[in-house]
Amino acid sequence: MTEILFFIEVVVAGLLAGTMYSLVALGFVLIYKASSTFNFAQGAMVFFAVLSFVGFMELGLPFVLAFFVTILLMGVVGFFTERLVLQPLMNESEDTVLMATIGLGFVLEGLAQAAWGVEVRRLDLGIGDFPIPWIIESTGLFISALDLTAGLVAATMIIGLALLFKYTKMGLGLRAVADDPGAASSIGIPLPSIMLMVWTAAGVVALVAGMMWGARAGVQFALVDLALKALPVLIIGGFSSIPGAIVGGLIIGASEKVLEVYVGPFFGGGIEVWAPFVLAIFFLLWRPEGLFGEKIIRRV
Amino acid sequence: MSTSPDNILEISDVEVVYDSVIAALHDVSLAVPRGKIVALLGGNGAGKSTTLKAISTMLASERGKVTRGAITYDGVAVKNQTPAEMVGHGLVQVLEGRRCFGHLTVEENIIAGAYSRKLSKADIKAELEKVYGYFKRLRERRKSQAGYTSGGEQQMVAVARAMMAKPKMLLLDEPSMGLAPQLVAEIFNIVQELNKKEGVSILLAEQNTNVALRNADYGYIIETGHVMLHGAADELMNDDKVKELYLGISKEGRKNFRDVLREESASHADLHHH
Repeated sequence: MTEILFFIEVVVAGLLAGTMYSLVALGFVLIYKASSTFNFAQGAMVFFAVLSFVGFMELGLPFVLAFFVTILLMGVVGFFTERLVLQPLMNESEDTVLMATIGLGFVLEGLAQAAWGVEVRRLDLGIGDFPIPWIIESTGLFISALDLTAGLVAATMIIGLALLFKYTKMGLGLRAVADDPGAASSIGIPLPSIMLMVWTAAGVVALVAGMMWGARAGVQFALVDLALKALPVLIIGGFSSIPGAIVGGLIIGASEKVLEVYVGPFFGGGIEVWAPFVLAIFFLLWRPEGLFGEKIIRRV
Repeated sequence: MSTSPDNILEISDVEVVYDSVIAALHDVSLAVPRGKIVALLGGNGAGKSTTLKAISTMLASERGKVTRGAITYDGVAVKNQTPAEMVGHGLVQVLEGRRCFGHLTVEENIIAGAYSRKLSKADIKAELEKVYGYFKRLRERRKSQAGYTSGGEQQMVAVARAMMAKPKMLLLDEPSMGLAPQLVAEIFNIVQELNKKEGVSILLAEQNTNVALRNADYGYIIETGHVMLHGAADELMNDDKVKELYLGISKEGRKNFRDVLREESASHADLHHH
């Protein structure tokens, strides 16, 4: 019985961690849909956003104000990305844009560290990383309050974004651009403003993900690599699908924890760092377009 | 060519170059009178699409550039405007190959056409009803994903979507492409209706010379980036050379207007050769 409980605990913790992967993957999907490119700068955006947030707090801004100032800052980053990177490369191939996002990543990492310094910061959201008493009492499960909060926040944001895209004018514009930017432009949908919205939304997603991860592991450079966990998530879910990002995140979150606990000991532990990527490779062999992705016809 | 207020669109001596080296148009001049349908005829690679994209400013996104000549739409010189700005001025292009948003429903596609206008939910509904009045078939298909509708329906979606922008002028690029004759007829009937009832001026690029001339007031024939011949639609329909080269009543050995003109130094008095 305790073994089953333990297994459930592992899976639940994995699923909750998975919602964070879903959220970060959502940032990638947004940009993939609008610009048809994998945004290698997303990890740097996570780092840049949360480091700036902590920096503003250190300057004495209250939590909420610092949060909104950072969102504004991510909007500015989105604006300059559109103007200085995307617009000049508008007629270039997707591969060129992909390379540009790698460069953008370096710029953001550098800017963040130049502005705020390189030391690891502590971020206290006022939510402890300890089991919630009433859940232990009622079910016997040890579920971390931070995990649960992160999971709920991520779920709320995902639902919010999904509704935004389904029911607002901007959302309709984005979906139109994602399907056919040329046709969208021909009926008067202004691509620059759609791009700005998408990059700002990806920036907000990056900020929230960075805050949740930063609260656990400290605000540090390693967040850049953590965000790349979204890559196996996208390979499993499909690059262009919002539901795919959600399901893929949950699969990666749950399976990496289960593998870590039950298979990890045979490898000396620590396999959750790379296990998702191995999973992704097998997935590529079986279904390269991902669970929810569109069939890929084009050669890359 | 001096511009006349009777013409909604005037193009004079336009040259277009792609990638700074490939000339696609050499000296195209044409005019579209307000409220009329003008057909732009010619084969593959003649420069029809390029002409339309030069007008709608969609060229810029394909590394094309107007290097000479002038385009005047509704009294305003077309230079560095964005396609969105042209849509704002009432000029909308329906791109070749329909280009529907495949993952959106038919209705979402059509509503997306109103993106450039500031409309309330009620206004959009009213506009939508008006558009469904012309495109009755689309009302039944409104909830279908556009990618799964037939070619004819997708062409209707593309035109309906453009109508939601409340255009003064439509640029239609090969609406008949790949469609069965009865569907082509249905679509052209709607185009005629939009022209008569909504007063939309239309510049129509077509390879299907027969259908285009039957539905147009005036026609221009272009080959390799030059206007070879233009005239009233019924005159063109009865022109021997047009019959031979574009309507499929052929003499041997002559493939295009250049050859014909080389053979015949004398030209018809009622047609204007370049």
